[in-house]
Formats: sequence, C-alpha cells, structure tokens
Amino acid sequence: MKQWIRWSGLAGFIITVGLLTVFFLFAAGPLIKSSIEHFGSQAAGAKVSVNDVSLNLSPLGITVTGLEVADAEKPMENLLQFDSAIAELELAPLLLGKGIVRDLSVENLQFNSSRQESGHLEVTEEQVEEEMSQPQAEEPAGSIVNIPTADEILAREPLKTEQAGKALQDSFASHKKAISEATAQVPDGKQLDQYQSELKALLANDIKSLDDFKQRKKQLDKLKKQFKKDKSAIAAARQAISAGRKDISEKLTVLKSAPGDDISTIKSKYQLDAAGASNLSALLFGDEAGQWAEKALYWYEKIKPYLASEEDGAESEQSSEPSRTAGRFVHFPSDNPWPEFLVRRANMSAPAMDGYLKIEALDITHQQALLNRPARIVIQGQQLTNIEDLNIDITLDHRNAPGRDSATLNIKDWAVSDVDLGVAGSRLTSALVQVQGLALLSADTLQAKADAQVRKADFAGDGGTQFAKELNLALAKIDTFDINAKASGKLSSPEIELGSDLDRKLNRAFQQRLKEKQDQLEKKLQARLDEKVQSYLGGQSDDLKQLNQLDGSLDEKTDQLQQMASSKLKDYEAQQKAKAKAKAKKKQDKLKKKAEDKLKKLF
Amino acid sequence: MLTMLAKLLKALNSESAPGQVALAFALAVLAGLTPLLSFHNLLVLLLAFIIRVNLSAFFLGVAFFSGLAYLIDPFSIRLGESLLNNPGLADTWTQMYQSDFWRMTAFNNTLTLGGFVIGLVAFIPVFVVARLFVSMYREKLLAWFEKLKIAQVLKASKFYSLYKSLAD
Repeated sequence: MKQWIRWSGLAGFIITVGLLTVFFLFAAGPLIKSSIEHFGSQAAGAKVSVNDVSLNLSPLGITVTGLEVADAEKPMENLLQFDSAIAELELAPLLLGKGIVRDLSVENLQFNSSRQESGHLEVTEEQVEEEMSQPQAEEPAGSIVNIPTADEILAREPLKTEQAGKALQDSFASHKKAISEATAQVPDGKQLDQYQSELKALLANDIKSLDDFKQRKKQLDKLKKQFKKDKSAIAAARQAISAGRKDISEKLTVLKSAPGDDISTIKSKYQLDAAGASNLSALLFGDEAGQWAEKALYWYEKIKPYLASEEDGAESEQSSEPSRTAGRFVHFPSDNPWPEFLVRRANMSAPAMDGYLKIEALDITHQQALLNRPARIVIQGQQLTNIEDLNIDITLDHRNAPGRDSATLNIKDWAVSDVDLGVAGSRLTSALVQVQGLALLSADTLQAKADAQVRKADFAGDGGTQFAKELNLALAKIDTFDINAKASGKLSSPEIELGSDLDRKLNRAFQQRLKEKQDQLEKKLQARLDEKVQSYLGGQSDDLKQLNQLDGSLDEKTDQLQQMASSKLKDYEAQQKAKAKAKAKKKQDKLKKKAEDKLKKLF
Repeated sequence: MLTMLAKLLKALNSESAPGQVALAFALAVLAGLTPLLSFHNLLVLLLAFIIRVNLSAFFLGVAFFSGLAYLIDPFSIRLGESLLNNPGLADTWTQMYQSDFWRMTAFNNTLTLGGFVIGLVAFIPVFVVARLFVSMYREKLLAWFEKLKIAQVLKASKFYSLYKSLAD
C-alpha cells in the first residue's frame, strides 16, 4: 500500500494559495479604485475620482488618496474631497466579505471646493459655459435671504411649461403638414368658377337633339363625378383640420395650466423645506450658520436611505429569496458582532473659518440592530477665528423602528459681526453669542429648538425713514437679548417659530420680510413662466385662427359643390312634348278665335 | 474537458488504490455542497493536496457536487435554519459565535452549515459507494466494457489516444 501522506502536495497547496494571494494583492488596489469611481458616480450622480488606492499589509487596510466627489447640481464644485483616507480593516470579517473598518482617518476633508473640470457625468461645452456663468447670476451682496433667484430655479428645475410648449410645437408642426397635404387636394376659387361656367354652358341653352342631350348628360356626369371627388377631398381636409384643432386645443390647455403646476412644485420645493429652514437660520445666526445647516440637511438626506431601521431591514430580508451563494447569516448575542459594513471609528479634519473641524464618527453601519449601538458623530471646532468653542454631538439611532436621531449644538463665544437684521437697514455690527440647540428627529418628524444669548450687542443702521431712526435709537440702548427658534413637523416642511425678547416688531419684520421675499420670487417665477408660455403660444394662436378660417371656407366650398351637383339636365322627350303641346294649344286658340269671329258675324 | 475525463479514466484504471479515488470524491462532497469560497474549503483543499488522493477525481468531484448543490441548496438552507434556530443548540452557537475563528468559517450561515452537515453525513456513504464502484469497475465492468463495440470504437478515437498518452 502506498504511503498516504503526500508532502509534495503541501508545496503545491502553498504555491496555489500564494499565487492567489499575490494576484489579490496586485489586483485589489485597481479593483477598489474602479469600484469607488463607478459606484460612487452612480450614487452621487456626478463624477467621483480617486488618484490612487493602495493595499497595506501591516496593519491590513487600504489607503485612498485624492478622492473628489463632484456636486451634481454645481458640477464645477466638489461636494467633498479629501487628500487621503487610511482605513484599517479587520482580516477575519474580510474573509467573509464583510467590510469592517477598525479605524478610518481622513485628512483635509473639504466641502464645496472648486474643481478644475466639470463633474458632470456627460458634459457638453454649452453646459460648462452655463455652469461657469452661474455665480454671476447670484443676488446682489447684502441680501439677507439666500433663496435662489427665479432664473436659477428655472434653470435647475425640469419645467412642465417647457415640456408642454415643446409638445404643442411638435403637434402643430405635424398637423400643419397633414392639413397642407389634405387642403392641396381641395379645389380653389378659380376651379369653382370654372365649374360654374361649365355648368352654365351645359344647362343654359335648349337641347337641340337627342345626341345633344346625351352629350350634355355625359359632360354633366363627368362634372358630378369630379364634384364627388372634390367633396371627398374637402371631407378629408375637414377631418385633418378637426383632428389637428382637437389635439392642439388639448395641448394648449395643458400648456396654459403648466405654469401653475410648475409654481406649486417649485413652491413646495423651495418655500418651506430644508432650504427654507437653512435660510431662517441664516437670518438669525449669520450666513455661515445657514450654510452649515444646509450642508447638515443635505448630508442627512444622503445618508437617510442607509439608516434603515430594524423593521425595514427585516422586511427587505424576508422579501429576498436566498441565493446559491448567500444563504443567510444568523446572528447571536456578542460583544463583537460583524455587520456587512462597519466603521468602528473615523477621524476626520475639515478646514473651516481659518481653523478646522475635528470630526469623530463611531459605529457607522447600516445594520445598527445587529451592532446594538447607535452611530455617533462628534464635531468639534479647533482654532476657529470667530468661535471660542463649537461642539456638535449627533446620535443616529436606528436600532428599532422608527429610527430616532438627535443632535445637540453648543457654540461658546461666537463673535458675530455685521449681521443684517433685515429691518429698516439695521445691522448688528458686533456681538458675542452663545448658542445651544437640540434637534430630535423620529419617523421623519422634527422637533428642534435653538437658543441664542446675544451679549455685548452693538447695532448700527443707515435707514432714512422715521421708523428706521426710531428703531435704531431703540436698538442702541440694547446690550443683550435672546433669540430662540423652534422647528416642528415634517422634516420636509417644518413649522418654524421665531422668538426674541427684542421688540416684537422686529420679529414681525423678520416674518414680513421673508414673506415679501417669497412673494417677490413667486411673482418673478410667474412672470418668467408666462413669458415662456407666450413664446410657445406666439405664432400658434394666429395659426389656430387661420385653421378656423380655413375650416369656414371649406364649408362654403362644400355648399357650392352641393348646389352645383344638384343641377339637372332637362329631359329631351319632355322638352319635345312641351313644344308639341304648346303648338297644339296655339292651333286650338287660333281655331277657337276663328270660330268666335264667325259667330260674331252671324249675329 | 476531454483531458479531465481522460485523467479520470486514468485514475480509475491506474494503480491508485480504490480508496484513494473514493476519498477524493468524499472530500469533494464537503467542498461541493457548501459555498466554494469558504474558509473550511481551504482546509478541505489542503487535505486533498497532502493526503495522497487522486486530485483529478477530487476536482471533478467538486465540479459535479457543485452542480448537484443547486438542487440540494434549498434543503441545505432549511437544515441550516433549523439547526441554527434550534433552542437546544443556541448555547453552543452563541459560544462559537464569540470566537473569530469559528465565525470565519461562516458556521452561522444557513447554507454553509446545512451544506456542510449534509456533506459530513454523505462523506462515509460516498466514500464506501465510490470505493465499491471503482473496485467493481476494475474487476467486472472494465472487462465487460472493453468487449463492447462502442469501447472498441472509442479506443480508435482521438480521446483514447489522449488518454493513452496521459497514462503512459
């Protein structure tokens, strides 16, 4: 019996596994790079590029350098970019295809940085030029509310008005062609006159003989045949006109109602949504805070789909059929569970206000129920020029449905300068502000509260009206005041309450000014949309009148042809009989007269 | 494919002990009925390399049982589910779950556990049946087969010459 152990096989095994490992080491970097670029671009809707991805063996991990994620809405800007990110991976879960990052450090994380080239996935030269010119169309400096301009909104939004206008133009062009072809077959006025004269010649004079009758009858039948053909052509033309008029009228109705639909869509999107909330915070706490709120809401919307709560996760798991390679992982209680993807700890630094924000994220995963810990993000300001201390603590708890997210904000000694109050040209030239905020979000319902204590306030104003002067005088006496804001309701359309112990009139003025701004915007939007409708309607309304006129003239032509077709040739036999009858009567009258004369002579 | 079949025939007809060919098939059951890229399959592969089993028979067996697994998978998954959710085994699984090594084996995957258990149960029967088959083939079927006309036609074919070249 042969020996059962084959030591050379061990060498073969080591070589096989070694070759596979070497192949993986070489292929992993490019594979990860292309995966990030491909799937990242799909998720962001804009270009995602990576300079390099390398695999580290000790400790096991990957280094991503030069990642740029373009902003789909502003392709000449990056949504975010960083110089390098080093992720330390855990080997054992990786062998099961689970990405567990023990430690992630991101250097020089930047938001909204400018790009050298457009980040559009499919880009044309016109679009680049348009994007380059966009910043010039911004509202003039000093505006307190960063609501996009009417032009920006119209350029950004897919408008029903434009779609309806194009549909009308297309419909008109196709019907016009059909109508032209159909009306070309209809006899014109000259032709009708000729029919009249031919008919007159046939019917006017007496029929001289039976042959003459037959000849005329033949010509009349020929004419009638032509009339029938012409009537069919007219009927076809009327049908084409009728179909065209019906279609065009329908499309015209759609076009006329489109601006209203557009306005309501735009209003719902721009009036009281996340942008509206950020605009209000901009009003209260300055432009920078407004931008931060906008960014926070933007990123929350982005990560929201991945924060599936337990209930949602269970549903999706049940609905998918187990595949050959998958099966299902059953999890047991453990201090160290392995979700499909987890970042245990991430450290990031992002430049801001001449200093930087230190961002620490813990337990980032889409399977929080498995980890049994909520995700936590702590942001701290470091060496910020205008803020002594900034602290934001965010907890995203989606272990149970509905998810419960919370955020606290603390700003200490925020040196605010030159804040336009939006009332009668008054400005808060300098102040030291303390801010405490708390936001809770559950089942898409927001409960948020922010309090600001403004100290060492210094106001200025150059308003010329009596009210402005009075207001500035009143403000000059104020050194400290508090502002508080509350937001509640759906995240997409929260109700926002503003409170302040400043004069109530200031509060009212804030509201009024916001409303004015919105009204102005709505008016501008309406005007622009009306212009668009007019541009589509311009030629078409005249053409529609012409169609109606054409239809009327076809009616007249049909009547004329009808009349002509009803003409009949006199019967030759009847004519001869009438002649004989007239002759007999004449003879009879003559005889009668002769008899009467004779009778008279007798008496 | 021709080469692989030729190698199998060579293995079947070679002087490899029937047990060595049968053991290769039995090991292939374990690898074939579970997801291929599993940690335990690395150990199965190591065993196939260092134990003097017929590697061609092993790889052919893996291919065969992987195909068969598409039919067996629903049963494997059901078995895995019932084992992993069995209250009597919960403590064992929980204890194993605390170890990185055991989790690396994906024992808590329904398909892996179910397939592996079916593979283990089938290991001895497959070994015995395969051994019997190889012996029977060499003793009886080979002589009978060679007498068949089709075998004589096959012997004249390109495949047979390939087989012969490998065998020599």
